[in-house]
Amino acid sequence: METLGFLMEGFAVALTPYNLMFALFGAFVGTLIGCLPGLGPANGVAILIPLAFTLGLPPETAMILLTAVYAGAMYGGRISSILLNIPGDEPAMMTCLDGYPMAQKGRAADALAISAVASFAGGLIGTIGLIMLAPILAKFALTFGPAEYFALFLLAFATLGGITGKNPMKTVIAATIGIMISTVGIDISTGTQRYTFGVLELYEGIDFILAIVGLFAISELLFFVESRVGGGREKINVGKLTLSFKELVSTIPTQLRGGVLGFIAGVLPGAGASLGSFISYTLEKQVLGKKGKFGEGDIRGVVAPEAGNNGASSGALVPMLTLGVPGSGTTAVLLAMLISLNITPGPLMFTQNADIVWGVIAALLIGNVMLLLLNIPLVGFFVKLLSVPPMYLLPIVTMVAFVGIYSISHSTFDLYFMVAFGVAGYFLRKLEIPLVPIILGLLLGPEMEKNLGHALILSDGSWSILWGSSLAVGLWVVAGLGLVLPYVVGPLLRRRMNAAMKESPVSD
Amino acid sequence: MTGFGDRILGLGLLVLAVAYGWAAQQWPEPFGGAEGVGPETFPTILAFVLVIGSLYLMVKPDPDAQWPVRKTALELVTSVVVLIVYALLMEPLGFIISTTLAVGTLSWRMGARPRMAFITGLISAVVVFVLFNYGLDLSLPAGLLEVE
Repeated sequence: METLGFLMEGFAVALTPYNLMFALFGAFVGTLIGCLPGLGPANGVAILIPLAFTLGLPPETAMILLTAVYAGAMYGGRISSILLNIPGDEPAMMTCLDGYPMAQKGRAADALAISAVASFAGGLIGTIGLIMLAPILAKFALTFGPAEYFALFLLAFATLGGITGKNPMKTVIAATIGIMISTVGIDISTGTQRYTFGVLELYEGIDFILAIVGLFAISELLFFVESRVGGGREKINVGKLTLSFKELVSTIPTQLRGGVLGFIAGVLPGAGASLGSFISYTLEKQVLGKKGKFGEGDIRGVVAPEAGNNGASSGALVPMLTLGVPGSGTTAVLLAMLISLNITPGPLMFTQNADIVWGVIAALLIGNVMLLLLNIPLVGFFVKLLSVPPMYLLPIVTMVAFVGIYSISHSTFDLYFMVAFGVAGYFLRKLEIPLVPIILGLLLGPEMEKNLGHALILSDGSWSILWGSSLAVGLWVVAGLGLVLPYVVGPLLRRRMNAAMKESPVSD
Repeated sequence: MTGFGDRILGLGLLVLAVAYGWAAQQWPEPFGGAEGVGPETFPTILAFVLVIGSLYLMVKPDPDAQWPVRKTALELVTSVVVLIVYALLMEPLGFIISTTLAVGTLSWRMGARPRMAFITGLISAVVVFVLFNYGLDLSLPAGLLEVE
């Protein structure tokens, strides 16, 4: 019941008018980000970080804003899946399967409404799971020593490639590059200058915010320039809402199953929201079998993946908040915000920054309600925005990224750096080097080095301490599995995902 | 030859890794002697990992991606140049003028009609400038438009 008390305090933080306003703003912007072409959740949150930072928001408000954006993006992704058969972001892929056929049958409004409800249910279940699981995990994590943390960081990198990652070696390379970038600057423990080449701007190290914004936002612009899809999409008619209450009630079991499964997939390292929606959809198909018309516009085929990916997005916050180890790109970006607010993520956050943690969790609950209320009446507005052509949108987004970075330090040096990161990001993406491990390396590099140092001091310089406890060995084993498994399971799973996509009677 | 991109990347990373690792050995011993982990320990490990990774890339490269050629490549270079010039001109010309030019050029190159493109640039520049300078109290450079 201790948890309930904390949660109430969290609500006290989240329900102040100031924070509520930012949560509402975040939810709105998040939905926009989710549904607009070329603006994924990680990308969108990244662009907002410098803004939240320069506005001088108090930490809890900044985190509430970004968490609301994060939750909102998951809602927004479904809109273009349903109307255009183009997922707004990766987790919304499975929603295409039944959402688009529903839209073609003239039930677009119903599909949008029911998927908003399903997103709400998934988000709610995920957040409840988060409330129950996070404090337990945080307490457990307090027993971790530096050696265990070092192994845990490795585990985070190993699993980040995820089930859908292609070449694990490229994940390793990406993570190493990220950590290397983080070593630039003055070494905190000895004061040695490392890789600064005497450039004053490099003494404090490379600001990961500008690296993140450059890697994501600028490279995205370049990809759009290359693919030449600047033109807009046709206007879509949503039609009238004909969803009956009975139909809504009939999907409740699906919502519960989807939400729970999604949450579990979200908590697991490296699985993430895409897998959450995939598992939920597949299971639903198994459970209902012939009773459903999956792939032809079955309403439960829309509900299951949406509940799944929203459940997963809350689940993914569990390792981020309790261990300081994010399991997905977007949570990595949220972690960047935490670090730049000078909050050390990890189990201690639950005691030292209880107001922030619980404020964020409460805001997630409130945000979900807001999102449901926003998404049903305003869906027409979001649909209109879908037809904004990227040729106007992306330059403006790029400009916002410039403004954000510029207003942090008022130095054009940072802007050049950001462009350089953008160009590098473009090449790396072309070469299929994943960007998220680079970001994570940038963020976790200093912590990793610190923990390595502490561990070796504790052991008087003996490296065997790194695998000295059974817990550490366990983490090493899981990390190894995380790196190797995708090699084995990945192709299989990808084939099934593709097969599922092809099975749907309509393509494009 | 397939896997050309990965091989070049591998070679580049190998050079980077060796240079990075070598540089780490050059630092003077910190005052009071190193205990356990010196400033060079962690970078040395990283250099080793990257050497292995880059060798792997060169030995077993993935198939090549489709690289942009001629016109598309030129468009990409143009975009990057626009971004650099944008950063360069932000302070001397001021935010509104430089943004109008940058956003306008980018939208135009992405396929918008020139007039629409620059109008979009101007509107977005003015909106963001007003929002930032008056709404949020963050000063963006006014540049040429500075009112004395």
